[in-house]
Amino acid sequence: MPSTRNNRIDEGLSKLIEYILPELEDEDEDEDLKANALELAQGMIDSHVALAYADDPAHIANIIKTKCVWKLIRDNRTSDKALRFHNLYSRLLTLPLIKKKGAILHLLHELSEEPERNTASRASERPSTAVIDSRAPSRAETESTRRPSKATTVRDEEEFDASVPPKPFLAPERGDGKTGEPTKAALLAGINPPLDPSEVTLLKDMPFTLQGVSSKNLTFFPENTLKLPSNLPVPLISLLHTLAEPALLYRSLSAFVEESDAIEDKGGLVGQSLSAAIGNELKAYLSLVAGLEGEIRRATLSLAEDDPHGLAVRKVGVTLRRCMIWTREATMGLRLMAAIVGESKGKRGGQLISIIHGFSTSHGDPFVFNFAKRLLTSVTRPFYDLLRRWVYDGELTDPYLEFYVIEQSEEAIMEANAERRGYASSVWQDKYKLDTEMIPTIMTPEFANKVFLIGKSLNFIRYGCEDSEWVEKYSKTTSKALSHDDYASLEQNIDEAYKITMERLMYLMNKKFNLFEHLCALKKFLLLGQGDFIALLMESLSSNLDRPANTLYRHNLTAQLEHAIRGSNAQFESQEVLRRLDARMLELSHGEIGWDVFTLEYKIDPPVDVIVTTYGSREYLKVFNFLWRIKRVEFALGSAWKKYMTGARGVLASVADKVGNDWKVARCCIAEMIHFVAQLQYYILFQVIEPSWEKLKATMEKPGVTLDDLIDAHKAYLNSITRKGLLGGGSTNSKSRQPETSFLAQLHEILKNMLAYKDAMDGLYSCSVAEFTRRQATSALIDARTAAGKWGVTESDTNTPYEFGQQVKKHSLRHKKVDIISDSDSDSDSDSDDGDLPGIRQRLKTLTIEFQARTAVLLGDLANQSDTDMRFLGVMFSFNDFYVVKKGKGKTVVERRTAQRGDETPA
Amino acid sequence: MPREIITIQAGQCGNSIGSQFWQQLCLEHGISQDGNLEDFATEGGDRKDVFFYQSDDTRYIPRAILLDLEPRVIHGIQTGPYKNIYNPENFHVPKDGGGAGNIWALGFNAGENVYEEVMEMLDREADGSDSLEAFMLLHSIAGGTGSGLGSFLLEKLNDRFPKKLIQTYSVFPDMANGGEVVVQPYNSLLALRRLTQNADSVVVLDNGALTRIAADRLHVQEPSLTQTNQLVSTVMCASTTTLRYPGYMHNDLVGIIASLIPTPRCHFLMTSYTPFTSDSVNQGKTVRKTTVLDVMRRLLQPKNRMVSAMPTKQSCYISILNIIQGEADPTDVHKSLLRIRERKLATFIPWGPASIQVALTKKSPYIPMSHRVSGLMLANHTSVATLFERLLKQYNILRKRGAFLEQYKKVSPFTDSLDEFDESKAVVQDLIAEYKAAEQKDYLSPEDMGEGHA
Repeated sequence: MPSTRNNRIDEGLSKLIEYILPELEDEDEDEDLKANALELAQGMIDSHVALAYADDPAHIANIIKTKCVWKLIRDNRTSDKALRFHNLYSRLLTLPLIKKKGAILHLLHELSEEPERNTASRASERPSTAVIDSRAPSRAETESTRRPSKATTVRDEEEFDASVPPKPFLAPERGDGKTGEPTKAALLAGINPPLDPSEVTLLKDMPFTLQGVSSKNLTFFPENTLKLPSNLPVPLISLLHTLAEPALLYRSLSAFVEESDAIEDKGGLVGQSLSAAIGNELKAYLSLVAGLEGEIRRATLSLAEDDPHGLAVRKVGVTLRRCMIWTREATMGLRLMAAIVGESKGKRGGQLISIIHGFSTSHGDPFVFNFAKRLLTSVTRPFYDLLRRWVYDGELTDPYLEFYVIEQSEEAIMEANAERRGYASSVWQDKYKLDTEMIPTIMTPEFANKVFLIGKSLNFIRYGCEDSEWVEKYSKTTSKALSHDDYASLEQNIDEAYKITMERLMYLMNKKFNLFEHLCALKKFLLLGQGDFIALLMESLSSNLDRPANTLYRHNLTAQLEHAIRGSNAQFESQEVLRRLDARMLELSHGEIGWDVFTLEYKIDPPVDVIVTTYGSREYLKVFNFLWRIKRVEFALGSAWKKYMTGARGVLASVADKVGNDWKVARCCIAEMIHFVAQLQYYILFQVIEPSWEKLKATMEKPGVTLDDLIDAHKAYLNSITRKGLLGGGSTNSKSRQPETSFLAQLHEILKNMLAYKDAMDGLYSCSVAEFTRRQATSALIDARTAAGKWGVTESDTNTPYEFGQQVKKHSLRHKKVDIISDSDSDSDSDSDDGDLPGIRQRLKTLTIEFQARTAVLLGDLANQSDTDMRFLGVMFSFNDFYVVKKGKGKTVVERRTAQRGDETPA
Repeated sequence: MPREIITIQAGQCGNSIGSQFWQQLCLEHGISQDGNLEDFATEGGDRKDVFFYQSDDTRYIPRAILLDLEPRVIHGIQTGPYKNIYNPENFHVPKDGGGAGNIWALGFNAGENVYEEVMEMLDREADGSDSLEAFMLLHSIAGGTGSGLGSFLLEKLNDRFPKKLIQTYSVFPDMANGGEVVVQPYNSLLALRRLTQNADSVVVLDNGALTRIAADRLHVQEPSLTQTNQLVSTVMCASTTTLRYPGYMHNDLVGIIASLIPTPRCHFLMTSYTPFTSDSVNQGKTVRKTTVLDVMRRLLQPKNRMVSAMPTKQSCYISILNIIQGEADPTDVHKSLLRIRERKLATFIPWGPASIQVALTKKSPYIPMSHRVSGLMLANHTSVATLFERLLKQYNILRKRGAFLEQYKKVSPFTDSLDEFDESKAVVQDLIAEYKAAEQKDYLSPEDMGEGHA
């Protein structure tokens, strides 16, 4: 469709002409002019329609190549331009959009030869012929090759860009675009009035403008704007727009540098080094401008002043366009810096570095990449200085808070404490904090954490462990300058420092501060591992602790503690351990007895309190109190058992006819309790404490363990003990569970129940002993009377039992058999008589039923536990399936296997 | 202030196993033959003062009283390698040294003559203890001295120390193969009465079972007396480890036996031990691979029991305590317990909760062990009654014939009548009945309750 094509060409041409030619006042003249121009243009196109080799791009490419090679030889330049041409050429060939590849190449070729021809034959119309044709493809090409990353202040940059042919071998001599087009210029020169100001004037002003200084024609306004003369032709304005960009950028950047110099403390060291680096870059830019200025001056000097159109400028080779080309690269740099400055607002230290680092890694443009990298090296210098101090001295000298480690102020630490409801903080945990936002992206989070740990450890060694000598020695021997240039060796250095520091810290903890010894001691004393000591302590304290809490004196407790230490294997512990052990009373409230308030304490000093924190100590105390309570019940049941057992050989055997069965039932109940306590203790020891301890020990022995690992391991250790041992946390299935029915509370109730039962049984014992005494006395009386020749038992005895009793009592006092009833509480026995027995029986029965009911509830709850260990406890309680757990609808019922017919109904 | 235990060794058998026991204890605690601590024995963690006390020159001296009515065995101890560790004042052998002639009554009566002297020893030892917990009597019940004098002592201890626990390690005669002493049913029955009434805990060791185990486990046709004694001393040592190596639980005798013995009369404990190796017994088999499960399973096997009881279908455990020594992992114990429960390897009483309790203890660091784990089971099993039944049967046969009674009738308490025999028989019958009752569901039956309330 040649016609449509022609139409399109016509249309394009007329538009172009309208665009190029200024509007004239006289309409007729205007139209004439335009018509002429159109004709001329058509003539140009037509004259060139048939190009012999237009369809053979290879041919033209060859020509260009040959020429290129020839030029290379002549100019003695490197061959990468030829290579580049080849690349561009092959890309051009693959572009499906462009049809007349040969013609395009030809045009470009022609254009490149244009300057030479300029002098030779002006009349040649050829170079301009392909202006329209070349537009589209060359734009496409430019867009595919390079797209500047930053939007600029100059509005029509894009369009302008498109007009710059990408072929680099055309530069720099190919300065002219459409406005500099000689034929047109000549044409326009005839039509247009001379420019005011002329290009030469503008050119002269340019150096000032580029330095951000206002000149007569180009004045800056404060708010980063450049006022252009209003009467310039559009192309020139567009040129000036482009040139204005570096000028404006320079202005804002130098303002930034000055500003950050003025407010030194705000940007911080990294900020300062950034502004310094930018300053340096600006200096380089200025020297470029200076060079440019030199060129311009040299060029303008040789020009005749009266060349109104400035056509002569072209001959000298310095034009505005050329200025633009020269400043092109610098503009890129300025743009980048402006972007950095823009983003860095309000950012400090690590974040700043992250921004710059972002440009240097994630940007595909090698120019941007290299530029950012150069910037990064100088900007990170203060950061690495900080890092070095931190990693080798353990000191944080960060006045501007730029590092990603933050030293907490006292108040902040206190605040942190308050937040954790008084759970203690520690130097280790709270003195320094890692601010993840401040970690520059030049390092990985793991790496940053490592660095954090090194410094923290060093600091801790110095201040917590008071081993600054070592730190100094270490910093002297190992200190190395760190910089960004060699990341691999940096990593290596840090790794090494990490290893050394951690080893030292662990060494200090284990050897100097006997961490392991303390943990063992805690386990032995507060977790009752040292059984003989605990037994002895309990035995010697039991009479004290039975009394009301307010009658206890601390010195009594400590004396008994001393005694227990001396009498048990605890005496072989080191003094260091023993002096930390203390016995004291918890804060007492009214009506408590000694058992409720007594506690052992193991004092932990810094720096070990980093691991065994105050919170941890409290947890230990909690566990101790629970274990102590169980132990007390075991002790009570054991000694009761012993009393009844040895009693069975003597006193109890002789009254078996009366209370034998009571004893049998009671003993079996107490056996059940003993079994219960034994299983509970077994569970706590072997299912809870020992496995957790093994885990902790394994962690401690692991090579390369860090303090943080230890802290975590110890925390986990305590946690599992408090959770499982106290039967605490574990999620119970029934959501409606009230706090008072938690396992711990249930256990407390059961233990209380056991103690009450033991007391009741003591009553039974007293009762039996009283019965025994009475019988002894009776038989003694009978013996005495028989010996005196009277009847053994007289009527009066049976008639007045009271008197008889009195007599018996007197008698018994005389014949006191200390050996048999030497029990301390037997003195009150004589008062208790048969009347008590039913009461005691009743009490025993209710307590038994209560105990069994509570056990059943506990077992039912244990059976529903999610934790296998805790379920196992339930299994152990009922190893012989004595308790039968029945799972019903949402409710678990535990039954004792022997349905105790008589037992359930009160007698 | 440990819970001290005073050991009384009576008769040949008692002294033989006693000397073996002390030797073993010395090895485990690193005490040399002259009573001083060996140089290497620095590890600590053990408690020697339960069984030893320190003299002024810091030697360790056993809290032991050695009694016999004839000098042979005691003489052997006094000339043996460990002669110097004992307190020379704690030996008692009468000048005439005629022995008890395997007659219980002679041994029992000899007690009256030695009473003052022995009580003095006991008082002295008891005074030397801060917190005396128990007496431990080692004897056999078949002969004259261990059985007769032992019975006498049990009675007297009862009166003298009513609040102290009395534990015995009693060697019962081999009832299947007749035995060396023809009157052993008489002696055993009479002694058994005292064991029932005057002791708190009796560890029953049966000569027949000991010989069988020795022969079986050690692969010897006729095990020597030393070897069977070593079995016993091994058991004794193992059962006292928790006392000697204090830990979280079972640090005193009460702690151990309180959970084993719910009712006073059923206090006859059986033991099993595995594995017997050359570490503890001469020419023992070398067992390398022992796991906790193996040990716990083997402990429940009747063939490892040191009592030749004949369990019936109703027989059951009243309680079990396993003392596991060595590198036992709690989780293995846990698994073993579950497996035993799953497979119902142990039957328990039906009238109360019962389970296998486990104590994990240290091993002596001074004695190399070729196996990882070893275990002792202390069990209260109702089948022990069958042992008594057999004894009673043999007694009845003998008594019906009225055989060999002359020797008894010569001395009290038989000079007037043979009531003592009948009373003893009644006690043992009651004991058997008690064990039988404990196998029943209605051990705590309401009928009895009613009687109690009446």
